[in-house]
Amino acid sequence: MKDIANYALEALKKAGADKASCRVEKARKDEFNIEANEFTLLGTTFDNGLAMKALVGGRKGVVSINKLDKGSVDEAARNCVELAKAAEPDEAEDIAPLVENKDFVMEEMTNDIDGLFKRSKEYLEQVRDELPKIIIEGFSSALKSSEEAYVNTNGVCFGAKWESYSFNSMFVGKEGESSSSFNYDGANFLKPTTPFMQSGMHRTLLEEAERSTNPRPVDEKFTGKIIVTPACADLLWDTILSNFISDRPLIEGTSRWKDALDTKVASEKLTFRAAPLIKEILTGPRYTNDGFVTRDVDFIKDGVLKSFALSLYGANKTGKPLNPTSSYNMEVLAGDVPLDEIIKSVDNGILLNRFSGGSPGASGDISGVAKNSFLIKNGKISDALQETMISFNILDALKNITAISQERVANGSTLLPWCCVDGITVSGK
Amino acid sequence: MLKDFLTESKKKFSDHTELRAQVNTNKRVVMLAGNMVGNTQTEKGGVCARVYRGGTYGFASGAEYTRESVGDVLKAATENAAFMDKNIGRGEPPLPDIENPPAKVELKKPIFEDIPQNILIDYARVLDELVVKKFKNISSRTIVADALCMEKLLAVSNGADSHFFQPRSMVYVWLTADTSDGVPVELFKGFSHVGRFDEYFKEPHMLEQELEELYKSLMEKREGVYANAGIRKCVLHPDLAGMLSHEAVGHTVEADMVLGGSVAAHNLNKQVASELISMTDFAHTAFGKPVPLPIYVDDEGTPAEDAILIENGILKGYMHSRESARHFGVKPQGNARAFEYSDEPLIRMRNTVIHPGKDKLSDLIASVDDGYYLVKTGNGQADSTGEFMFSVDLGYEIKNGKLGRAIRETTISGVAFEMLKTVDMVSDDMSWEISGFCGKKQPMTTGMGGPALRCEMNVGGR
Repeated sequence: MKDIANYALEALKKAGADKASCRVEKARKDEFNIEANEFTLLGTTFDNGLAMKALVGGRKGVVSINKLDKGSVDEAARNCVELAKAAEPDEAEDIAPLVENKDFVMEEMTNDIDGLFKRSKEYLEQVRDELPKIIIEGFSSALKSSEEAYVNTNGVCFGAKWESYSFNSMFVGKEGESSSSFNYDGANFLKPTTPFMQSGMHRTLLEEAERSTNPRPVDEKFTGKIIVTPACADLLWDTILSNFISDRPLIEGTSRWKDALDTKVASEKLTFRAAPLIKEILTGPRYTNDGFVTRDVDFIKDGVLKSFALSLYGANKTGKPLNPTSSYNMEVLAGDVPLDEIIKSVDNGILLNRFSGGSPGASGDISGVAKNSFLIKNGKISDALQETMISFNILDALKNITAISQERVANGSTLLPWCCVDGITVSGK
Repeated sequence: MLKDFLTESKKKFSDHTELRAQVNTNKRVVMLAGNMVGNTQTEKGGVCARVYRGGTYGFASGAEYTRESVGDVLKAATENAAFMDKNIGRGEPPLPDIENPPAKVELKKPIFEDIPQNILIDYARVLDELVVKKFKNISSRTIVADALCMEKLLAVSNGADSHFFQPRSMVYVWLTADTSDGVPVELFKGFSHVGRFDEYFKEPHMLEQELEELYKSLMEKREGVYANAGIRKCVLHPDLAGMLSHEAVGHTVEADMVLGGSVAAHNLNKQVASELISMTDFAHTAFGKPVPLPIYVDDEGTPAEDAILIENGILKGYMHSRESARHFGVKPQGNARAFEYSDEPLIRMRNTVIHPGKDKLSDLIASVDDGYYLVKTGNGQADSTGEFMFSVDLGYEIKNGKLGRAIRETTISGVAFEMLKTVDMVSDDMSWEISGFCGKKQPMTTGMGGPALRCEMNVGGR
């Protein structure tokens, strides 16, 4: 891979690039599909990727193709430089400096397609035998192996070789003509040694879908608490990333936290970080698209904003510090309260497993439907809900975190606890 | 343009087989607050084969497209089909033949010479300058110019072979302004058409009028109030009716979703909506005109026909692949489509609309004493239960039949087959929307549309 990457880099320089980087990948994916509780497909995909970036006088061009022959690479390099020449100059554009070159090669690669099939078959049999109300709408399990390289004209050179196993399942509970909302869940593994059913919250979510075939709306409009489960990661944690600490809101200046570094933005109970290197995160990338070695980074520590999630361009453009990481690999540190105690502390609220709502705007206002969720009354989980909306502002909500659970769930990509938030508007029909 | 290495491989087919060569190209320029943060070209192509044996499929794809690679993917897909048949063995018979398939459907290639990137760059730059010059009270803006082209070559063991092109060009504009207390609010508008970018987006100033309306709406939203949460009488702008037809109903009547537990499974030939509601997934022609994203043959080689979904409030049918059509004992109508060469065909919507009615939009608004006029939506999601939600990026109070204050971003929800029964007025005009992508394992270009509707909705807010 490094040979192809270096060939592409030379082609970019020949075409006129001042600075350039190339990322090359060859990958194979084998995938089993299940629909409506029946196996439907085995697919094998061979793919390539070549992503080139050229800078000419601070002007940037980016070209991606999936052909790796020399003719295609040469043509792509010429296109990339032509793109750059036509662009606007921007002194914030750059490539990573050379610090230390490394290869990241997985120690043991098993290529165990039979193991993947066995786990998939076992999963379907468990669903059929143990969870008779569950219909698997769509399931895929995959073995992906990849060999890749990153090089740039500052001398940075990384190689990587890895494989991972994964499954994703989308399911409903069905009883007669009644059904639950669909839900989905999945996980990544390094080997297919653990039954899929045992991963993270998976069995719990399936059992809850079976108990949710006759949901009801809440009776009244009230202000109460929600317990956000690890399965509902997108509601709080993805919103923080996309709306307040990433490139777009900070470059535009629309982030409400643009000047909040080292100030309190959340309850002191909250430490939210990217942690691609911890042992529970199995598939965290070892280098970024910009060509930096990844590291674990605290975004919010004890309620204080400690770092943004900026790219090299974003950091140069905003003048804010660069902390290269993989923000997809989120970790929220465990709290000091058992989940049972948190549930007991809620007089009127919702156990929130999934949220279906509009993408929150820069204001942080969020509203949407509580899905696969349960009413909590006087400290006890009661009815499954439908047609129940929740509304809040996430900036207020982060300050209204009342508890974070001792328990956490790892799915190979993230490590998250249950998080209880007060001051949420809940309304039914 | 793709060469045909597929037809000659048909002699090697032993089971029901599809061979597809495909290339997707995308050019994109992004201006963020005046900075050209994106200037990209992407080309992704290759060939795939799918083989049906005994009730399951074997699939394989590769990035190279040569005579040899076609043979390789066909062999790999056949081996995968054999593995599944041996280890799963559902014992299903071969798929039924398409009766009287047409000869190869060869679409005339639209004007799609390779468009130079500087056309997109110049367009985005000038449009950005225009926005800054004209709209003094914005705090930020994002401009995206995008040109996507999909070319597919299909050879099937039974059905219609085809050669398909679909260029789609888009301009997206986001405007942001701050409220008096410093809270940013934003509005988005997408412009799109099928064809080469500069056929439609000739000069940025041609969008000026629509952007002025967007800016005016943003200034009103800046002064907006929170909606009052609860069940409310609403008038949905035609853009929201399109989202309703796609998200709230369309997904629940995709046959794979029906088999997966969708509420539509128990409602065929039952009243699921007001008699004022009819809904069709059009293939290539609607109301006597070409639809925005015409499909003539799908990626299983099925000639495309309209799928009638709801007629005068009665659920009449689902959308199908060849396999699901056999399961339900109906004729497939060409809904199986794949986004990239490495994707297998899935049941997808094409051009899904609620039919226009007889009322005037102004009368719909005038008839509401206390409710909301909901104008723009950002995203939406449906559920197997028929419960849906859309974000509402722009809406207004209606008081005594007149539009009042704008509202802040909110979300609306309902259960499709209950909410559609509350529709009691349908406007006589409709709009199409093709600027987004539907997400269902793979992305997909889809068209959607509809008229304005008066109905009851659960409105989020405070």
